[in-house]
Amino acid sequence: MKFLKFFLIVIILFTLSSVNAEENDKRNKITKNLRCLICQGQSVYDSDSEFANSLKIVVDKKLQEGLSEDQIYEYFKSKYGEWILYDPGLNKNTYILWLLPILIFLIGGAIIYKSFIVKK
Amino acid sequence: MIYSLIGYYSLVIGLIIGLSLFYFSYKNFNNSDILDIKILSFTFLQLFFVVISFLSLIFSFVISDFSNETVFNNSHTTKPLFYKISGTWGNHEGSLLLWLLVLTLFIFLFLIRTKNQPVKYKILTLVFQQIIIVGFFLFLIKTSNPFNYIFPIPTEGLGLNPILQDPALAIHPPVLYLGYVGSSIIFSSVLAATSLKIISTSWASHIKNWILISWIFLTMGILLGSIWAYYELGWGGFWFWDPVENVSLMPWLALTTLLHCILVLEKKSILTSWVIILSITTFTLSMCGTFLVRSGILNSVHTFANDPERGLFILVFLFILIFLSILIFFFFHKDNDTKSYSFFWFSKETSILINNWFMMYFLSVVLIGTVYPIFLDVISSQKISVGPPFYHKLIIPFLIPFLLMMAIGPKLKWIKSQLEDKIYLISFLIISILLAFLVLKNFNQNILINTILISSALYLFFMTLRDFFSKTYKNISQNIAHFGFSLLILSILFNNLFASEIITNLKVGETFENSKTKIVFESVDQKKEKNYNAIIANFSISNSNGEEDRFSPELRIYNQPVIATSEADIKTTLMSDKFIVINLVQNQDFFNVRYQVKPFMLWIWLSVILISFGGIVSFLQKKS
Repeated sequence: MKFLKFFLIVIILFTLSSVNAEENDKRNKITKNLRCLICQGQSVYDSDSEFANSLKIVVDKKLQEGLSEDQIYEYFKSKYGEWILYDPGLNKNTYILWLLPILIFLIGGAIIYKSFIVKK
Repeated sequence: MIYSLIGYYSLVIGLIIGLSLFYFSYKNFNNSDILDIKILSFTFLQLFFVVISFLSLIFSFVISDFSNETVFNNSHTTKPLFYKISGTWGNHEGSLLLWLLVLTLFIFLFLIRTKNQPVKYKILTLVFQQIIIVGFFLFLIKTSNPFNYIFPIPTEGLGLNPILQDPALAIHPPVLYLGYVGSSIIFSSVLAATSLKIISTSWASHIKNWILISWIFLTMGILLGSIWAYYELGWGGFWFWDPVENVSLMPWLALTTLLHCILVLEKKSILTSWVIILSITTFTLSMCGTFLVRSGILNSVHTFANDPERGLFILVFLFILIFLSILIFFFFHKDNDTKSYSFFWFSKETSILINNWFMMYFLSVVLIGTVYPIFLDVISSQKISVGPPFYHKLIIPFLIPFLLMMAIGPKLKWIKSQLEDKIYLISFLIISILLAFLVLKNFNQNILINTILISSALYLFFMTLRDFFSKTYKNISQNIAHFGFSLLILSILFNNLFASEIITNLKVGETFENSKTKIVFESVDQKKEKNYNAIIANFSISNSNGEEDRFSPELRIYNQPVIATSEADIKTTLMSDKFIVINLVQNQDFFNVRYQVKPFMLWIWLSVILISFGGIVSFLQKKS
């Protein structure tokens, strides 16, 4: 019985610490994708301004509340606008942004294929 | 006072010389057996006066002549001499004077170094370059005069932004500009060659040297900026996809493409239109970059001069240049090489075309990512940010075929090629995949794309490594550069995957400990320097192997202007960098401590040096 208890505690401790580590990783990942609104071109993760530090706390809180990554981005987007997200989602504002480079790639390939390469 | 006068009137004289050079060129052009000696001496005089102007600005900084507005805005008597001098180009006016210096230097070098090319070609190149030079003279004198007076004369200056007071950043702008502005000579000569219809293989090998020079300096300039950002901006990254970084990356991508493309032109006299377009694009991108940075449109760490009038001037000037080049391209350029336009699919030509294709794609990603938010803001006043995730998602998957092509392409022959040694090509590929898999498996980072990416980088690594020892393979410069590139990609990947980081808040005397690392915050010292006061924190950090390092990161409060900065303390070894930086937590006696172990950091810098070394070797080979 004693052994079982000890075993349980070890497992709980282990999972807790790994949850913590995971949460830290997640926090870092999320804050890297948020723009520090009062800085010049820094992410929340990189910045140590008051604004960035308070945002880090908010992210921690939201993670503890059990929100997923996407939900947290949604939350910040609704609060501060899309400007805060470094990873602009695919929507009607950003179709050109995401698709134009791909389109250029395809057209470039087609031009090279059509005009230079002998088909045999 | 006197230096400002000398500097200003030197600029005016330089402008007048520029205008008179148009006249001499016109006269010489119609009667062009030899290059008029007047043209050469006037070009030299122009360079001389720009140098005088630049030196007088430096002297004004050295003696802290605060009657000069530029000096007043960007200097201070307590600054060390070195930063007084480097402050000369650490601001808008001074850096534009540096632009002008490089422009005039390159045309002078071009005129005296170019032999075996028609005189008309030299004269026309000079004319196009003078159009740019005169434009910049006007820009400088009209909107950004570095020699403006202030009266009454202030007794003290406003000081230089402390993050610019740094040795790497002191030489970063001159080196970068040699590459960035150096591409102007490619632009001018390509327009001249197009107008005269002399684009040929011999022209290609002549212009290749100038492309190499710009390319080497641009690569080194970007590297210096990146190193600076790594230790000075204090958050341990080296590339942030910051708009201003992108603006220097874009001409680099175009120039690298051009460098590969000129090889085809040099050997086979084809792809002329493409070479012309690329040359024009490179310099246009440099100009666009200047416009974006100077107009203050971009939100970035670099914006130190925001003035709409300046932006407008550059924009108008830029449109004139683009219009001029399009005009010349369509009126003078006749494509006469359709006869040999078809390549066998498996040949060196095709592999270079594929390189061009991918490079243009990368360029379009960076370009669209940088300017799209601006357009969206103007059109619909919606603000979005485009950051690292965007670039990573669009660039990384395309790197895989790109790396594989880089490994195989150089082995192919011109016109038509067969794959030789198929067995060893495939066995290297299998070894690379196995190795990548083993590395990632042990580190619990088994993501499919990482394995594939590392395999392809390893593949390039092994292939180029083997070629150093191959007797049949001659192109040493290309091999060095490609080897360097594989090393760069590998170092960046490992650096990202295996970096570890601890962020914590500590008071003096406290200890942080986890399974791998123990951080002891031992003490705090104070230091007083001429231009700043510093708090030095002493840490002792040991890892699980019992190795112990001592670190002393600093918090500096600069006096002019009063700005606090964090100075990281970095221990560099061959295998990894240990990086620690501290910050004060507001209104508390805690310090925010950020400790990072970054594997292969040094190799990122070394591989970029290796890449440019490849360029240097290629340049020297041409000479002999």
